[in-house]
Amino acid sequence: MKKIKVTLEILADEIAIFYDYKKWHFLTINGVSLGEDKLEVQWIFSQYEAMEDIIMFYAECSYKDVIPSIVNTVPSAIISQRELVDMFGVVVEGSEKGLYLDDDSKQAPLSGCSL
Amino acid sequence: MKKTINIPLGSQHISLLEPVRFKFECENEKIIGVDSDVGFVHRGVERACTTNFKYDGIGYVVARICGLCAITHSLSYTVAIEQLLGVEVSKKAKYLRILLLELDRIHSHMLCLSHTCENAGFEAMFMRIMGDRELIMEMQELLTGNRIQFDYISIGGVNRDVNLELAKKMLHTLEILKEKVLGYMDEFTNNWSLSLKFKGIGALSLDEAYQFNAIGPLARASGLKLDVRNEISYLPYKELGFMMQTHSDGDINARNIVRLNEILNSIEMCSNILLGIPEGEILTKSKGKPNGESLVRFEAPRGELMYYVKANGSAMLDRVRIKTPTFSCIPAFSHIFLGENYADAPAILASFDPCLSCTAK
Repeated sequence: MKKIKVTLEILADEIAIFYDYKKWHFLTINGVSLGEDKLEVQWIFSQYEAMEDIIMFYAECSYKDVIPSIVNTVPSAIISQRELVDMFGVVVEGSEKGLYLDDDSKQAPLSGCSL
Repeated sequence: MKKTINIPLGSQHISLLEPVRFKFECENEKIIGVDSDVGFVHRGVERACTTNFKYDGIGYVVARICGLCAITHSLSYTVAIEQLLGVEVSKKAKYLRILLLELDRIHSHMLCLSHTCENAGFEAMFMRIMGDRELIMEMQELLTGNRIQFDYISIGGVNRDVNLELAKKMLHTLEILKEKVLGYMDEFTNNWSLSLKFKGIGALSLDEAYQFNAIGPLARASGLKLDVRNEISYLPYKELGFMMQTHSDGDINARNIVRLNEILNSIEMCSNILLGIPEGEILTKSKGKPNGESLVRFEAPRGELMYYVKANGSAMLDRVRIKTPTFSCIPAFSHIFLGENYADAPAILASFDPCLSCTAK
């Protein structure tokens, strides 16, 4: 697995340049809590018909940061973005809460900070 | 301006036994908009894995996520941990793991095919496939001690061996099953209720399959060559006769044919395993605690299952991320419904073989 560090500011552009939809399969978006203030967000892709060729873009950010959407480049990412919003209580551009939790739920089960 | 009406399908519906709700916006009979809700039974398994259980017990926890693909969940997690611990699993244990994975795929595909028959109003075929499926359930019980929730996988290998007598019995049962599946193929190809009726319905083109990142039989029925068994090295699929099954039509009928061909290929792989089980131990002892991060993918019956594990050298893990097949396919599902007749929606949904137990893990 190859990890590529990015910042939130350049993330959408980096993925737009990288993503060839017939070459790369979008796996998911993942979050990893790094404590009270920070989390690591990961955007994971694998190459079609290649042996274990996985690329992970990742960015460290605060729970208060607005995470950019990649839906313009990867339409199916919307479902993973909504899951990230529910589970970590973060804001992702254009992604509403309420996939797993209630729309007005104050919970964020995987968040490292108390809401 | 044309008048539209909203029609819900679920969360309780006769054609769908799991709690998911689709809200269709229809113009006459035609579906022009889709909204989905999958959040009825979220169980918080990912959080439980990092707060309530130590790393060596989580394999048995994640097996409870889904009854149909319990083995794929526990194996994916276990392989992720084995990679962090540096455990080398014996060839015999790898063969036995594939044996159970493929038996699981066979009975899961049979369940889907039987539901397809039920949605076509072909009750007799539904009963026939469900009856034959018992052959696999009995084999699983003989091999693991349980019909579905088999805690067969351990860190370092598997928990039970196969003796010669059991291998012979399973080979005989697989021969019987193969004949029955060839009979299904005839029905699904030639019977009007199961072939012509489903041709052109609920279609996903190859380009759409790429765009919506479709996976599993849904993707392969559209011609997308994505089968994780073809892209991993931690199980020796290729030496056991794995052949990727694809179709080009992308409709309900194509999904049925892909699943039938996959059952036949799985029967062949299981037979090859039982005819040539290697000598050796079934369990390798592991030492230490996991540290670092690993990402593992397996081909569950419904498609790609991904586990990401982050460990810190203690018994409690930092993160267990589970990406399930049905969850990934929701955008493709929603797209497929557009332009279809509402009357076909239950049959289209059954052809997706959705698993909400996995999705709302």
